[in-house]
Amino acid sequence: MKKIALLFSVLLITGFTSSSLIGQCDPENFSNACIPKLAAGFNFLKSYKIDGEGGAKDKVEYSYVFTKGTQYMINICATGAATDGIVVTLFDSGRNKVATSKINGQFISAIAYPCNATGIYYIQYTFDGSAAKCGGSALGFKR
Amino acid sequence: MRILLVALAAAVLMSCGSGKKPDEKAFLESLDSAKNTGPTIDQEVINSVLQQIPSPLEISVLLKESGTKYNNGLLNSPDNLSTYNSNYKKALNLGIYGTDLGYTNIYEQNQDGIKYLASIKSLADGLNIGQFFDIETIGRLASNSKNLDSLLLITTQNFNSINGYLQNQGRANLSVLLLSGGWVEAMHITCQVASKDSKNKQLQETIGEQKIILEQIVLLLSFYKDTDENMASLLKDMEELKGAFDKINITYTYKESSMEIVNGVAVIKDNSTTTIQITDQDVANIMAITNSIRNKIIG
Repeated sequence: MKKIALLFSVLLITGFTSSSLIGQCDPENFSNACIPKLAAGFNFLKSYKIDGEGGAKDKVEYSYVFTKGTQYMINICATGAATDGIVVTLFDSGRNKVATSKINGQFISAIAYPCNATGIYYIQYTFDGSAAKCGGSALGFKR
Repeated sequence: MRILLVALAAAVLMSCGSGKKPDEKAFLESLDSAKNTGPTIDQEVINSVLQQIPSPLEISVLLKESGTKYNNGLLNSPDNLSTYNSNYKKALNLGIYGTDLGYTNIYEQNQDGIKYLASIKSLADGLNIGQFFDIETIGRLASNSKNLDSLLLITTQNFNSINGYLQNQGRANLSVLLLSGGWVEAMHITCQVASKDSKNKQLQETIGEQKIILEQIVLLLSFYKDTDENMASLLKDMEELKGAFDKINITYTYKESSMEIVNGVAVIKDNSTTTIQITDQDVANIMAITNSIRNKIIG
């Protein structure tokens, strides 16, 4: 009986711990922090929450209509250094890869995309060795 | 010991739950029961389409950068406010005034902007979303043209918050109307400018590109056609407009892009292209139908 009680205690602690870890993710805080980090000249459009829900999600995706002749910037903010393994990848409506923030193994915190083809684009965030799987992002534009 | 085990089991089960507070859960459940009158389509699907719709601000920036002069005669008069009594009209015209405010902001016409702010605040209050519009801060920023960046930022954030709130509250229908109104106004302004500058191919292309956005708006409105007769009527009008857009050909060619890192930013060279085939007659047809739809909305 003692063993069963011990087992439940472990489960209880594990449950609370994982729950509180998930609860610690405040993507809105990160996305708000990302807005002023858009490069000069870019007008803010959208902020995106990146919440991997403690590992339950392996990607977070949004979409937006990008317009030819407009330059867009997407940045990433996360806990600690740089992007904490969060990668943003841009796909066109046919799911062809257009851009990524991981170049030659290097995690870049912002991508600038001068759009040459109007259409729906998918903005996908993935976690590549990310510890917290939690962050935010902002989208801006300039002509 | 049994009591301890039961308590532990209950605690474990609770910790594995959604993590929502009891009040929040009850509130969300109450919203679910209200969904009977809404569309049967998943709310997440609606939200994912809604977030694709681009900001009308992009078009205002394009107009200014192309050298088009400011013309407040193109905008809906803020004095029309008193005629918008239903939630349907309020939401649509909130979108229209939002675009007009963005236009006045981009052109730094702050005196006009303040008039739109007052109308926007009134409509937002009427829809119980006025708390997201920080009129005092915006008014203060609008009083000085040096605050343009902050003004644009806070107005965009306010509208994003309104849309996010409406979607979270199961009132995405109002968000659809808000974005539809904003888009119609941007279309109206662009068409009017293009009609006076028929040699401006960039403006014609911009009009043609709106085909992609209109398809999303038609999709959004279609979710409500069986549950909301106003939205069904607007859908019918938008489908007529879509008919005019169907004559426009947009050809997309994908080519792999290249990238380089410049000052810590990954700069993409987009090698894909779109070509848009649109005639003067197409623009004229689109303008006529857009005007008709807008007149119904603002009238």
